[in-house]
Amino acid sequence: MKTIALYSIKGGVGKTASAVNLAYLSSVSEPPTLICDLDPQGASSFYFRIVPNKKYSSKKFLKGNKKIYDNIKGTDFDNLDLLPADFSYRNLDIELLEEKKPQKKLKNNIKELNTEYPFIFFDCPPNLTLLSESVFTASDVILVPLIPTTLSLRTFEQLLDFFKECKLDTAKIKGFFTMFERRKAMHREIVEEYSGKKRFLRQIIPYNSEVEKMGIYRAPLNAVRPNVPAAIAYQELWEELMNEIEHRPTK
Amino acid sequence: MRTSLKPEYFSISDTSGLPEFFKGVDIPFSLQAEPLKKELLHCYDTFDWKAWNKKNAIVLCCQRLNLVDLKNGSEIGSSPLRKAPQSFFPEDIAEEKTVSMLKTLSRLRAFIRLGSVKTEIATWRALDENQKTVASIELLSILQPKPSNAQKPLAYVRLNPVRGYPKELETLAECLKSNPAYSGKTTYQDFYTAVLDAVSSVPGSYSSKPSVKLKPGNTIQDSARELLLSTLEVIHANESWIPKNIDTEFLHDYRVAIRRTRSILAQLKGIFPPNELSRYKQAFRELGKRTNNLRDQDVYLLQAERFRNLLPAAMRDSLDSFFTDLRNQHKKELRTFSKYLGSENYRQFLQEWESFLKGNMSPDPDTTPDALRKTSDVAVSSIKKAWKKVIRHGRDISRVATDTELHALRIDCKKLRYLLEFYASLFPAKTLQMVIRQLKTLQENLGVFVDLSVQQNYLYSYLSNLECTADNIPFASSLGGLVTALYNERETVRMSFHDAFDTFDRQETEELFNELFNKHR
Repeated sequence: MKTIALYSIKGGVGKTASAVNLAYLSSVSEPPTLICDLDPQGASSFYFRIVPNKKYSSKKFLKGNKKIYDNIKGTDFDNLDLLPADFSYRNLDIELLEEKKPQKKLKNNIKELNTEYPFIFFDCPPNLTLLSESVFTASDVILVPLIPTTLSLRTFEQLLDFFKECKLDTAKIKGFFTMFERRKAMHREIVEEYSGKKRFLRQIIPYNSEVEKMGIYRAPLNAVRPNVPAAIAYQELWEELMNEIEHRPTK
Repeated sequence: MRTSLKPEYFSISDTSGLPEFFKGVDIPFSLQAEPLKKELLHCYDTFDWKAWNKKNAIVLCCQRLNLVDLKNGSEIGSSPLRKAPQSFFPEDIAEEKTVSMLKTLSRLRAFIRLGSVKTEIATWRALDENQKTVASIELLSILQPKPSNAQKPLAYVRLNPVRGYPKELETLAECLKSNPAYSGKTTYQDFYTAVLDAVSSVPGSYSSKPSVKLKPGNTIQDSARELLLSTLEVIHANESWIPKNIDTEFLHDYRVAIRRTRSILAQLKGIFPPNELSRYKQAFRELGKRTNNLRDQDVYLLQAERFRNLLPAAMRDSLDSFFTDLRNQHKKELRTFSKYLGSENYRQFLQEWESFLKGNMSPDPDTTPDALRKTSDVAVSSIKKAWKKVIRHGRDISRVATDTELHALRIDCKKLRYLLEFYASLFPAKTLQMVIRQLKTLQENLGVFVDLSVQQNYLYSYLSNLECTADNIPFASSLGGLVTALYNERETVRMSFHDAFDTFDRQETEELFNELFNKHR
């Protein structure tokens, strides 16, 4: 089982769109795939038209394995399942504080899912909290979407510093650029400087209004508009990521 | 932790489509029609129905080969497969898990295409208030060829669950049931049986074992004729497949049927007129002989990988020419034998044999003194005799068993095994199974020993006839290495003979045999 988190301290950088599209591509090439919506806003749940069961809450999520398993729902796409986020997830950080080893909680809670899903994606909320730390431990790869701006790069540096400070494995972190607009000089310069360098993937996701329309389609872009530039870029990004995972030395 | 979603099957007598079907029914979902699909469904199984017997179906549809649980219709294995081959082996499949599942069903027998049907699948998605699919309903119809049985329902409905929506599925199933056109809950097995029926395939219709149910009070002559007709059926069932060279087991079953025939003829004395008997005995011996080389070649080719692995890696490749040679010989031999199978002589011989078995036989006290004996009496006395012979000969075997002793005992065991199988229907199945299981252990030991001896001798004579050229040196050394490896293996088997025999020659087995005999005291 490989776990991939779509994470950024900053909001509005394309975490959910990336999680939904990459998870969809994973479900096609490495079925079946699970996407865990960890953001109380429930954006990826919304994209798949899924609402959690009435009795599902952050408490059940923290109980793990069987409780998580019972609340997984099938999306409208073959081999792609989703664990929806509940609004009570906003309390996850406080609840995690009461747990014994909060950093390892998520990793332990999904242990039993490994027989079913070769790939699990986490769509994370934008902040750096105890839940984020739990995600860092549970993930094999932490994908960080970045708009090519100085502010984005700054938060990326902050994340790296945090990892070093907490003695976490920085090799898990992989940044990639989203919402790239060629007409903007700053975008071009930043992409040229960082893309494909250490800790960055080569593939960039161009700005494409079709991505915003995912809220109307309520489906992965690669499922409904596979030929638009952003969908093609996500396909390339998934292939690059697979290649990266396959060739990564195992620890 | 893993659950697979199980579809539910229903049959309905209305094929006009679901919206029509649901007219007037209060259904809390909206139905969204998907494009109508027409698909070709190819069904596969081994000739002896290994998948069906283990409650599995193998179907190829939309370039995917699926292994389906017959009981609940859930998919237990799946792999891409572009074309629909006439036959395939597990290792021809791409997806590893499916390969190992297919291997548990069959290692030697190929999966053969039983037939293909054109199906029409109309799909509707059931959507909740968020327009989320909570289940899908498929209306499956077999377009061509039509199932022969007119009583079959016109269409099957498959209700496909979506994970996390069990209540919605239940509601939908209830809605289906409340309709007048609903004709009942059914299973995937029913649907699959209808598909097989459409291609005129009868599941479980072939088994290499005699399936005759004998009556203990019948005369042995009648019972023997019944048994011989059933082995003749096996001969006929396999003969047209042998030339196709699909797998080695057609020839194997064919040979076993011949051997069984010969075994009945040899062991049941005094029940058929001696002149006729000796003529048929001779003819079946010759028929068997015609297949000997072919079977040997099959065995070597099946063992190719094992033979290679017995040698150090550097010596393996030089064996290739041996196997190429073997393959060519096999091709030639198969051509010759196939020609014989198609000949008038062969056809006539079996026809005469059949007429003989079906013809009137008036028992004559001089030539056929035992013809009127009770089947159960003969069964008990012949099994007893064969069993005692195995015990007597086995106990006589020296501390270090010789080749001749082991060869002879193997034949004794085979005779006993055939008798037990012929008369199986006369005895309690459980006891008989236990007896056969114990005999099997001994037979395996003897079988492996004899096979290794034959292989070793064959390779040795091949080596002796090899031209003495410099080019042949690596090949000769590989063959030499192989002969040595097989020799060592055989000696290990020889050493374990007495242990294998002791597990058969013991009080417990004797009690089991007596239990069998007491049934007809």
